[in-house]
Amino acid sequence: MIPSLEQLSARLADLAGAMPATATSGPAPVPPRSPVQPADFAAKGYHLDVTVAPGAVDSAAGILDQHGFALDTITGVDWIAQNEMEVIYDYFHAASPLRIVIRTRVPRDHPELPTISAVFPGANWHEREAHDFFGLRFLGHPDLSPFLLPEDATYHPLRKDFSA
Amino acid sequence: MTAPPDIARPTKPQETFVLNVGPQHPAAHGVLRIKMTMDGEFVTRAEPILGYIHRMHEKMGENRTWAQFLPNTGRIDYLSALHYNHAFVGVVERALRIEVPPRAEFIRVITSELNRISSHLVWWSAFLIDLGGMTPLLYAFDDREKLLDLLEGVTGSRLTYCYFRFGGLCNDIDDSFIAGARAFVAQMRPRLKLYRDLVTDNIILRKRLEGIGPISAEMCRKYGATGPVLRGSGVAYDVRRAEPYSVYPELAFEIPTYPAGDSMARYLVHMAEMEQSLRIIAQALDKLPAGPVMGKVPRVLRLPPGDYCFAVEAARGRFMVRVVSDNKDIPYRVKLRTPSFSNLSLYEEASRGMILPDVLALLGSLDLVIPDIDR
Amino acid sequence: MEAPVDTSQIVQFAKLDELLALSRANSLWPLTFGLACCAIEMMAAGGPRFDISRFGAEVFRPSPRQADVMIVAGTINKKMAPAVKTLYDQMLEPKWVIALGNCAISGGPFVFPGQYAVVEGVDKLFPVDVFVPGCPPRPEALIEGILALEKKLTGKRRWPVVTPPQ
Repeated sequence: MIPSLEQLSARLADLAGAMPATATSGPAPVPPRSPVQPADFAAKGYHLDVTVAPGAVDSAAGILDQHGFALDTITGVDWIAQNEMEVIYDYFHAASPLRIVIRTRVPRDHPELPTISAVFPGANWHEREAHDFFGLRFLGHPDLSPFLLPEDATYHPLRKDFSA
Repeated sequence: MTAPPDIARPTKPQETFVLNVGPQHPAAHGVLRIKMTMDGEFVTRAEPILGYIHRMHEKMGENRTWAQFLPNTGRIDYLSALHYNHAFVGVVERALRIEVPPRAEFIRVITSELNRISSHLVWWSAFLIDLGGMTPLLYAFDDREKLLDLLEGVTGSRLTYCYFRFGGLCNDIDDSFIAGARAFVAQMRPRLKLYRDLVTDNIILRKRLEGIGPISAEMCRKYGATGPVLRGSGVAYDVRRAEPYSVYPELAFEIPTYPAGDSMARYLVHMAEMEQSLRIIAQALDKLPAGPVMGKVPRVLRLPPGDYCFAVEAARGRFMVRVVSDNKDIPYRVKLRTPSFSNLSLYEEASRGMILPDVLALLGSLDLVIPDIDR
Repeated sequence: MEAPVDTSQIVQFAKLDELLALSRANSLWPLTFGLACCAIEMMAAGGPRFDISRFGAEVFRPSPRQADVMIVAGTINKKMAPAVKTLYDQMLEPKWVIALGNCAISGGPFVFPGQYAVVEGVDKLFPVDVFVPGCPPRPEALIEGILALEKKLTGKRRWPVVTPPQ
């Protein structure tokens, strides 16, 4: 079914409410935002920007799966100044130009969130890569062993405090 | 007389052995290692093991200014380097609202489509070598050299182009390029027909590819596969139509789609795309306006804080760049969503229970470039 | 018992060495070892325009046991380094190595402060005979590298270096 932005916003807004406000201590690179925010595609490259609690990423993935979206990628960002890590899920649709972004934040010293690989098997590899580079732990993931790094790697190179 | 053995029914699981394909292997298309658990000639599990050409592009993105990262983009997927150039300059132009002059956009499209053809010619040669046909490489590389002469005259490189700049191009094309491009389009169309007669309609190729490695549209969606893999499963998804960029909306072209989902369908998508690229180049040459090739760009590039993305239809599928900026002259994070990564992720599920030659035919039909996967 | 005969009057090894060197130089069989972008230029060198089969070197062997020269075309990763060393060890003597491209020479464009994955040059793993710079080098540069290797084997260049007229 071809999704509509209003329908999706309504369903995702039910999930988005549980997100605590982003920390404002230190330099805040992004202004605080309301959980479901339409975005200007010409300026940003996506249509909808949804912030959810870490525990809700799999429900969000389930909603998007029902509407026929595909997972584009999973991006980790290390906001070391705010002691948080952000995980951004990009979704696209083969029959619609809509681009949806689901984002969440986890504490840096306890970077855990559920896996979405049961909904999107393709997320298996994206999450494994995010674990390689950031140490993000996706609960329920079948195999978070090193992927792009050597098999015995114990470092996470894209963390901002990584030194070779 | 005893009944013939049922070769389609694999034997007991404890009789499996592990066969390692790669990382140095002629069919590996680079340094891909696949750990195949085999039951006789049947593959029970084909597990790709990556990382043998991980070159830290995303880490370099945090250590380079916006402009210094441009040469990296040509080396992620070196066969379709101009598309990757385009995505990165596109994301910065989108964030800073930089106007690109129309002449530059048309030249970007012409050179990108030429790059698509050269990438598909390399794919075609390598795929047929995997299947055992050594000769098509000699034909395809001859055509490719003519194409590379054109691109070399304009960009200075044969392979890892870094021709696009924020706001346009680093230099303009000249009349010899335009005449050469028209001549190339004219001589390439009969060559494609030659390839169809010699190779595509060849009964050996058809028996190797038809019905081999079926991938459904739903599997593509679940794994995020795009490009010829998705179009070979019947889904007419092309980023040039879904998220139109540059001057593609002004050009008429088809999205070749084949519903069968097998390796032959993916093969036919590639061949039809080359024809469509020739069509786009011819139209763009006709519509090419005069004017500058560089727009107004601020001296120091600082993107407003936030994240931005830009997607292009590269030769292998959807390539998306997502950058996170914290108002400095170097990015905070550069994420590269590469098509080969998602296309290979479905390999383990798609190759289960197939025999070894078919598994390698499936691998070749996915059109992978391994540095695109490992980045 | 007779005194041993001075064999240098009868057996001339120098000519045999020259013959062996000439035959090895004119039939260098490379190992298919394309790692990254330089591999495409290596394939183009094997293609019809640049044609390394003029020099006897178009027979790329997938197995290291059958190859004379390892053309390291691309970046060597720390994860890949043991595999490269194994392949080098599996090649039979006499063997040579051509480092094709900046990555094989010194890590190329992937060397930056804080880099964690790239081996900075294949000569950190084993000795290299010819270095061919470029990113990627043109197929003609690879051919020049093969000619330089032939000169290393035989002592003579097959074709003199062409200097353009002033």
